[in-house]
Amino acid sequence: MKVIPVYIEAGISGFESPAAEYKELNLSLEELLLQHPNATFFGLANGRSMEGRGIFNGDVLVVDRAEHVSNGCVIVANFNGCFVCKIIDTEKALLLSASSEHKPIEITSTDDFQIEGVVNVSFRLHKKLPTLLSCLV
Amino acid sequence: MFGLVDAVSFYARAEKVFDPSIRHKPVVVLTNNDGCICAVCPLARQLGVPKFIPYFKIKSFLEKHNVVVRSSNYELYADLSDRMMNVIARYSDNHYVYSIDESFLHFKNFSSVNNWHKYGHMIRKAVWRETRLPVGVGFGATLTLAKAANHASKKLSGFDGVAVIDDTSSRKEILSRMSLTDVWGIGNKLGKRLSILGLNNGWDLANQSPKVMRSQFGVVVERTVNELNGMPCLQWDEIGQDKQEIFSTRSFGKRVTDEYTLKAALSSHASIVAAKVRRQGSLIKRLVIFASSSPHDDRYYKKSFVYEFPMATDNTIKLVSAISYVFDNIYKQGVSFYRCGVGGVELESSLFRQKDMFTVSVNNPPLMKCYDEINHRYGRGSIEVAAAEKNDKWAMRRNFLSPSYTSKWSEIPKIIC
Repeated sequence: MKVIPVYIEAGISGFESPAAEYKELNLSLEELLLQHPNATFFGLANGRSMEGRGIFNGDVLVVDRAEHVSNGCVIVANFNGCFVCKIIDTEKALLLSASSEHKPIEITSTDDFQIEGVVNVSFRLHKKLPTLLSCLV
Repeated sequence: MFGLVDAVSFYARAEKVFDPSIRHKPVVVLTNNDGCICAVCPLARQLGVPKFIPYFKIKSFLEKHNVVVRSSNYELYADLSDRMMNVIARYSDNHYVYSIDESFLHFKNFSSVNNWHKYGHMIRKAVWRETRLPVGVGFGATLTLAKAANHASKKLSGFDGVAVIDDTSSRKEILSRMSLTDVWGIGNKLGKRLSILGLNNGWDLANQSPKVMRSQFGVVVERTVNELNGMPCLQWDEIGQDKQEIFSTRSFGKRVTDEYTLKAALSSHASIVAAKVRRQGSLIKRLVIFASSSPHDDRYYKKSFVYEFPMATDNTIKLVSAISYVFDNIYKQGVSFYRCGVGGVELESSLFRQKDMFTVSVNNPPLMKCYDEINHRYGRGSIEVAAAEKNDKWAMRRNFLSPSYTSKWSEIPKIIC
C-alpha cells in the first residue's frame, strides 16, 4: 500500500492539494532536448542552406559535443574560423548542404577544420523574440 | 592515489571556445578595468608577451603583432569552469575544486585503474571533447606530488599533458627538474632561504631530514618534505585553509578626484571585507586602508594607514567608521586617485577569542546575520551601508569584452548554414 506523506506545516491551511505529491513530475524542456547538458551549447542558424533538413534562418541549434559523429549527420564545425552547420560526409570528406542551391564543400588539408558537435535538435520560435534575433544583426 | 587536473592558460583558452576566428591567433586577457595582462595563451607567450604588465605599456606591441585583446569575461569563465569540473568529477570517487581552473582528485576505490598514464589521457580527451579546454593531468601518492606531476605534465619537455609519479625513478626525474619555488607551498622568500642551504631543486628538498626542516623552517616545510616522499600529510580541508589576510581592492574605471567618491569606494571595500571575514568566521584586529594614484603618473601619490580595533570585530558598521576616522589622512586634494582598497590583516578566530574584561564588545552578530541573509537572498548590494553608495565612476571598465555566449540568449554564437 502506498502511503501519501503528509508534511508538517506551520500556519493555517485548508485541504492539502491532492496533486501535491506529483509536483516533481513537471515536464522539463531541458530533459527532453539535451542529451548531454554539460557538453551542449546553443547557436543561432544564419542562412538557408539547411532548409531540406528543417533548419531555417533564425532557428536555434542545440549543439552536442559529446554525441558520436556518424556519416550523414548534421554537425556544427569550425571551418576556417567560422562556425558552420552542414551535413558531414565522413567517407568523402565533404560538407553537404540540404539545398539544391548549395554545392558540396570539399575539406582539404589546407582548411582549418574541426567538428564542434552534432545537431540532433533544433527549434524555432514562431513568434520571433527580438533578443534572440539581435545576434543576427 | 591523488590527481590534479588544471586548465592550460584558462582565461585565454576560454576566449577561444566560442570564437573559432581566434583559435589560431595569440590572445591575451586583461584584469579588472583592463589594467594589466592576466592571461596569455601559448601563442602569445611565444611572442614574448609577459604576464602582469600594464596594458598601456604593451599596447603598441600587441597591435603590431595582431594579438587579440579581451577583457575578463567572468560570466563565460564561470560557466566553462563548471562544465570542466563536471567532466573531471566523473573520473574519480572524490574531488575538490581548488580554484576556477584546478581540481584535485582522490582515488580511494579505484583499483580498476591499472594504467594511470592512459587514464590521464582519457580525462584530457573527455574535457577537450566536451568543453574545448586543454588540461594538464598529474598523478602522485600525495597532493604535493600530484601538483608536481601536474607541473611536469605542462611545463617539462618530454611530457604530453599527463605525468605520473608512481615510483622512485619517476619521482626523482620530475622533482630534480623542478625549481624549489615550483614545489607547492614553497614561496619566493622560503625558496631563497632554502637555496642558501645549497638546495637547488625539488629532489634536493625531498632528501632533507623532515625534523631538521621543521626546526629551521617550521611545520609547513616539514610536511612538504614528507609529502614529497610520498607520505600524505595534507587533507582536503587543509588545502582550503582560512585566509590569514583578506583584501578588497580595485582600480577605478575613471580617475577619482573628489572626496565623496573615494570615501564611498573605500566604504564599499570595507563592507566587502567584512562580509568575507564573516564567511570564514574570523574577526579583524587590524585594518589596512590605502589609496593611490597610478605608479605611472608623474607624481606618484600613495597613502596607507593601519587602524587597530580595540577589540577584533566583523561588524561592517565599525569597519566603515574606521574609514571615516582615517580618511582625512589619506585624501589629498588635487590627486587623481587610480586605486584604493581595504584589507583585514590581523585576523582572529571568532570561536577562540580572547575576551577583555574592560572593553565592551562592538560586534553585532544578529544585525550582521540579517544583513548577510538579505544580500544572499536578494543579491549582493541589496542592502549596503549608506556611505558605500555606488557611483558609475568606479564601475568596472571592460572595453574588450567578448559576448556571454552561454548566459545571454541575445549573445549566443552565430552559425552559418
